[in-house]
Amino acid sequence: MSQRRLIEVTVLVLVGVLLALATVNDVIRQSHTNQRLVVDLDTWRAYTGHVYHNLTIEQDLKGSGSTREVICGNTSPGAPKTRPQLCLVMRGPVVHGRRTVYGGYYLPPHTLYDVSSARYACFGPAKSQGLCEHGV
Amino acid sequence: MALAPTAERSNRRWAPVLAGLCALLLLAATAEIVLDGAVGHSPLIPKSPNIAGWLGGIGERLGYRVFLVALLSFSAAYVGLLALTGRAWLKQLSPRWAIGLVVALHAIVFAGPILLSTDVFSYIAYARMGVEHGLNPYVHGPISIVGDPVYHYVGSSWKHVPTAYGPLYTLLSYPLAPLGLTGALWGMKVVALLASAGTLVLTWRCARARQFDPVFALLAVGANPLYVIYGLGGAHNDLVMTFLMMAAVALMLTGRSSSGRETGAGATVMAAALVKATGVVLLPFMVISRRRLAPIVGAASAALGGALAAYVAFGVHGVDIVAALNRDAALVSTDSFPTEVAHLFGKPGVFPIDHTLLKGVLAAILLYLMWLTWRGYDWVAASGWALLAIAVTSTWLLAWYTLWSLPLAVVTRDRRLLWTTLAVQGLFILHQTSPLFVQVQ
Repeated sequence: MSQRRLIEVTVLVLVGVLLALATVNDVIRQSHTNQRLVVDLDTWRAYTGHVYHNLTIEQDLKGSGSTREVICGNTSPGAPKTRPQLCLVMRGPVVHGRRTVYGGYYLPPHTLYDVSSARYACFGPAKSQGLCEHGV
Repeated sequence: MALAPTAERSNRRWAPVLAGLCALLLLAATAEIVLDGAVGHSPLIPKSPNIAGWLGGIGERLGYRVFLVALLSFSAAYVGLLALTGRAWLKQLSPRWAIGLVVALHAIVFAGPILLSTDVFSYIAYARMGVEHGLNPYVHGPISIVGDPVYHYVGSSWKHVPTAYGPLYTLLSYPLAPLGLTGALWGMKVVALLASAGTLVLTWRCARARQFDPVFALLAVGANPLYVIYGLGGAHNDLVMTFLMMAAVALMLTGRSSSGRETGAGATVMAAALVKATGVVLLPFMVISRRRLAPIVGAASAALGGALAAYVAFGVHGVDIVAALNRDAALVSTDSFPTEVAHLFGKPGVFPIDHTLLKGVLAAILLYLMWLTWRGYDWVAASGWALLAIAVTSTWLLAWYTLWSLPLAVVTRDRRLLWTTLAVQGLFILHQTSPLFVQVQ
């Protein structure tokens, strides 16, 4: 094998190892996130007493270690987003199969985008954090 | 090392049986995805007109787990088939058998619903914007045709986005627009099927011209899981670009070398670029390899003709491919390798500086490949490496981007390109598997 070919193969193997490590790491990371999201959905159902399946999850992508998620679902039976939505803000670790709810807010029916101007009736820490203030 | 006569006899006896089992697994996995997909109501099947309703009563709603098990089974059978076909003692595998298998895979996917991507609805939306609504698809996004039946099927991320595809592809899609949504959808499926068939025929011819086993080349491309399920299943226009790329390669590799063929090859590469800009990557390697004016003349003529047609049809926006490329280069997908590497190093994702660094890395790779080609390295292999490098360094990676280098890889002597392409595809598939471990529902 020529020296150039040897260098090329070495670089390819090194890049391959890096990409393989990154891929496996991402699969593990995504599995942990999925595990947390499953608990988020269970927490929403336990909190509201509604066993709905069509819930929306919005993840906070600011910071790789962020565990903040907002889970929204109908307040009464109906097609997704056709009823007022109750959104719960969840953070922190999973404890005994549940996550801590840091307040929340409501959204009117048929709201396409969860933006502060659409929210109302903020409660708990979500209120003090100004999640319902227009212009935020 | 030569096999002992007994072992060789045993291999000769069992290899066709194993190849048959692999083929059955490929067909079963494809049928499972298509039949379950035809039921609809699946996150893996885009909302679509009911074109495969007649298949809907057989399967069950396609879930992530079933899909991933089918995809992994398909991939394992594909690797097994390649391993068997690559062996000297299975060289006699009937070409008819291999062609029959690839045709069957294509037929199953063709009969089924659109799989895994809403892109085809964007293609139709852009065509209908131009033909039915008199709007320029290079200026407006599908949001401007809210009342059109196709609008509801366009992916939410693309509703505001003008087309980034080449003017040749946009003009080719225009005749499908008056066929109505369902007619256009079938038209797109036919285009993808024909482009795939053309790519495979040309791959076969190029492999023969270079004295490689054409059966291996055919199976490596035509029975590839990402090619069949994602590329063909989604009726992606990457297949049209790949067909034109392979047509250019075939012009250079088959038949007697002549200025006419080289001019045609240059023009065909440019046609590929006028479908999807990535296709232009082949041109510098072709030119450096031949060191003749003919490919440049062909490419320049096609570029001029294309630019003129684009200007007449779409004004200055149809010619400004650079703006569309810059816009797309800024996109980030969770499946891209740069995003995965960023996560590995504890970053939430890629930052603008990373885009700059990646462009620098890509430029260095392309320059190195050009230097190698100048020194005599196979220009087809160099083009394949370049396409693979674009896919790997892109922050916006989709399954069908990993197909670009595949047909080139099977017609080059440097087998590292094929193994690397397959390894990249393997990592892409591996990255999809997290719902196998924990499913959110």
